Amino acid sequence: MERQFTIKDLILFATLGVLILLLLLAMYMVDRQWLKLAEMERSLNEQAQDMRALRGSLGELEQRVRFGQVGSVVQEEPNLDQGDAFARAYAVSRYPDYAEGDWVVTAFGTGLETLTPLVSSDAYSSQVQSHVLESLLIRDPETLEWVGLLAKSWQVSEDGLSFIFQLRDNARFSDGTPVTAQDVVFTFDFIMTPSINAPRERAYYNKIENVTATGTHEVVFRFKEPYFNALSLAGGLAVMPSHFYGPYLDKPEGFNQSKGLLLGSGPYRLADPENWTPDQGMVELERNPRYWGRVPPPYERIIWRVIENDSARLTTFRNGDIDTYAARPLEYQRLLDDRELMQRTQHFEYLSPVAGYSYIAWNHGDADNASLFSDARVREAMTYLTDRSRLIDEVFLGYAELAVSPFNPRSKQHDPSLQPRPFDIGRAKALLKQAGYEDHDGDGVIENTQGEPFAFELTYFQDSEDTKRMVLLLKDIYARAGVLLKPRPTEWAVMIDALKKRDFDAITLGWTSGLETDIYQIFHSSQIEGQADNFIGYRNAKLDELIVQARSMVDEGARMPLWQAAERILYEDQPYTFLMRRKSLVFIDRRFRNIEKTRMGLNFDMLPIETYVPTAEQKYTR
Amino acid sequence: MPTYILRRLLLMIPTLFGITLVVFTVMAASPGGISAQTLIEGQGLEPEARKALEDYYNRLYGLDDPAPVQYLRWLNNVSPLGFEFDAEGDVSGFGFKDANLGTSFRYGRPVTDLLAERIPITLLLNALTVPLIYVIAIAIGVHAATQRGKTFDVGSSVSMLTLWSIPTMLAGVLMIGFFASDQHWHWFPTAGLSRREALDMPFLPHWGALGDVLLLFVSALAGAAMLVLAARRLAVPYRALLMAVIGGGLGVAMAFAHAGSPGVLYVLLPLLLAATGAGIAWMDYVGLRVAFMGSIGLLIGAGLAVRFGGGTFVPGFLLDRLWHLVLPVICLSYGSFAFLAKLTRTAVLENLLADYARTARAKGVAEQQVLWRHVFRNSLLPLITVFASLLPGLLAGSVIVEQIFSIDGMGKLAVEAVKNRDRELVLSITLISGLLTLFGYLVADLLYAAADPRVSYD
Repeated sequence: MERQFTIKDLILFATLGVLILLLLLAMYMVDRQWLKLAEMERSLNEQAQDMRALRGSLGELEQRVRFGQVGSVVQEEPNLDQGDAFARAYAVSRYPDYAEGDWVVTAFGTGLETLTPLVSSDAYSSQVQSHVLESLLIRDPETLEWVGLLAKSWQVSEDGLSFIFQLRDNARFSDGTPVTAQDVVFTFDFIMTPSINAPRERAYYNKIENVTATGTHEVVFRFKEPYFNALSLAGGLAVMPSHFYGPYLDKPEGFNQSKGLLLGSGPYRLADPENWTPDQGMVELERNPRYWGRVPPPYERIIWRVIENDSARLTTFRNGDIDTYAARPLEYQRLLDDRELMQRTQHFEYLSPVAGYSYIAWNHGDADNASLFSDARVREAMTYLTDRSRLIDEVFLGYAELAVSPFNPRSKQHDPSLQPRPFDIGRAKALLKQAGYEDHDGDGVIENTQGEPFAFELTYFQDSEDTKRMVLLLKDIYARAGVLLKPRPTEWAVMIDALKKRDFDAITLGWTSGLETDIYQIFHSSQIEGQADNFIGYRNAKLDELIVQARSMVDEGARMPLWQAAERILYEDQPYTFLMRRKSLVFIDRRFRNIEKTRMGLNFDMLPIETYVPTAEQKYTR
Repeated sequence: MPTYILRRLLLMIPTLFGITLVVFTVMAASPGGISAQTLIEGQGLEPEARKALEDYYNRLYGLDDPAPVQYLRWLNNVSPLGFEFDAEGDVSGFGFKDANLGTSFRYGRPVTDLLAERIPITLLLNALTVPLIYVIAIAIGVHAATQRGKTFDVGSSVSMLTLWSIPTMLAGVLMIGFFASDQHWHWFPTAGLSRREALDMPFLPHWGALGDVLLLFVSALAGAAMLVLAARRLAVPYRALLMAVIGGGLGVAMAFAHAGSPGVLYVLLPLLLAATGAGIAWMDYVGLRVAFMGSIGLLIGAGLAVRFGGGTFVPGFLLDRLWHLVLPVICLSYGSFAFLAKLTRTAVLENLLADYARTARAKGVAEQQVLWRHVFRNSLLPLITVFASLLPGLLAGSVIVEQIFSIDGMGKLAVEAVKNRDRELVLSITLISGLLTLFGYLVADLLYAAADPRVSYD
């Protein structure tokens, strides 16, 4: 007789199942506790290590006191300190409501691939690295002068080829090892090792012949040729600890494929410098307890969450779960009307000097087949036709600034006497007529003498909503002068291919720029061949000469007139129609204080950190 | 049977070969193609840097070779049997070697590592979703078939059709907007798989005092038991009234919890929830009614205990993770169970009207026995067919849901790989999902034989 499956059996099996499940969960929980214990043990070990070091130096001091050496050891050191990187942060730390503590939680729009320096290439990971790695020099955000960070002073040799840096003796990496000249030398050699996956940096630092240590705290950078950006090249090198990265010289694959090898001397550190993985969905940095700088970093933790969906990111910001939100122009206007949000947040519109500019590049064609735009008069006419103020007003709602040239209008490279060409359809038509384009048959479209209509394709990146709207508006504006624009939306890979093969009539894109912008790779005629970045095929012998001169001129006073002369040529020739520089629009939680716009952009992302949260408003205090 | 399985397994090899060949050709022929230049994103590079980077990629992946050579090299890499090369690139031997899925262009890491990171997340989502889909679909589908043409059938058909036609991206964004936002109800998190705070918590939830635990369990169990009893014993009008009152109460509570609280909410929400509650109580489908009312009782009981229990409560990592999974799992499942429920209904209905079912009833077999023993078993075939396509889906993940809720699963990995022209990754993912699809078909075919004695492969 087959036994029937009864309710009693069901209950029995259910109870057994629940018990097994509970057992599994309990095992998992114990495992997690072990991990936590290991973490605590590590931090205890670190503290013991620090104690030992402290005791050692105390013993030394005692010895010296016993032998009566105190007082005589204070050496007369010439005051070499060139600027103080911490001056601004120190001033802020004197404010009455200044307080340490609290976390900063922000969001990235895409997931990170790796945090390892050199291997990573995206802007997000370099933002994380900037909190962990430090360079010899940084720029003061207001004066834009270089000030010493890891270096306390520096000199330039007579010939302008050698840069000598004296390092601070108290700087330490976050594991307690001192920062020495050897680490700087190591960093350079490490980058130059061919088996390390850093071709980008290798090409960048290729202008440096060698880096040598002339003492434990003195290092010399020797350049192959004079280069105007030499100091920023040498001073901007992020110093990597040789004892941490050194072993990877023997196993470069381990470095190239690593996801989170990040250790440095900066104010923050990864809790585990070797084992960060992207599947955690966030990056978390904790305060470096051994930070050497004279102002300890205020925030306990800095967290970047990965939230890809735009509306989810905005909702998370509204909920107060993340502290900053960068908005697009339309969104920004809408959010400004949201009273509840405005009470909780502060907002900033600013123009970052390194944000770059957008442009329309006109393909000049080559010697064999000249294009529509090889005639400078046509290009000038197109600039007159491109109603940039209307684009800015209607597409970007005024949150952009008209661009005259590749140089930042607030830098010394720019000649203030150059005024942007206004929208002038009459002059555009006249110029086009001079160039041989006129409406012969009265169909509203201008033709050349052979009767071919003036028509061209404008290639643009298809996924950008703002660019799409801009191109459609341009199409209408151009049509009023009888110019036919055919929009050609393209996918990124295809666009790169078109650039490579020079297969486009006109293309709209953007370049990022630096504080001092080098235009060699974009406009020098040597960059036409071999699929380099002068993809429009622009040649001007005078400009070539000016660029080469300016690049090798180390003296700033003599260099700036050269850049200005180069700018004037670009202004006359209009190889590109420069469109605009767009403003950054950000919302930041109200609890953060002392956020201000500097000449380098907003100081919220800057190091040393000069913002804080008063004690009463701290959100993540324990 | 073993010969059949062996034959099927051997037949997979040429099929997989064909799949990878097609994918490789499509990728090589796509506009822009795959070359070192496409790998170098952006343009902020100086020419020397660009050249150096291109040379580096060409050396690493052999991208400057002709496409057939590249394909053969890839094939050699993934097969466990093949040529071995020494450092200079000369053939050093032929034989068994380690199969290697290659290195992703974009991430610069072995493809196996990337997959090992993503697969557990996708599996977790699907391990929750798939059983849910089947349980709901079978419960509703089978009952709808027995009630053909009556209120339950029509009602469930309409609501299933409605669910099936709501696009997931819309539902996901709406759910985040309404149930994860401070502007409406901030019940669930917006993104990710766990909160930062939860990482520091113990794994299991725990309470400040034992009394709180007892209170929670007792009140949750009492709530559930009371409503289950009501669902089973109470006459229709009374239980409908009870549920309407409960629904109305919840509606009022919800309206109060709403941040903005426009006045109309105070009327609309209680009415809507009261109607839903009464509708559930009115149903004559005992199983569904008991399940619904029981879980509502459980939630109310637990909610009251948490509300009035006081004391400290740490949700723990596990509860936090589950709490993050609620919205994604709803998004992943509603469309599928709607579809599957309709499918089940059709299949069961067809068999209910068959001669053998009438014969069984005529010889005096109880209606429940006829339904589950005879009819249901015969209606399993379409469900098995669907299961065959579910197996690869288990690992393939869902791009849309992963995007909306910022979950790093396989779906997103695959789409990003295609977007970035990350050939090794695309090929590996298609290889794996191809393999799983073929396995799914094989398993389905074997299950047919198990479910239906008429099917035999000997």
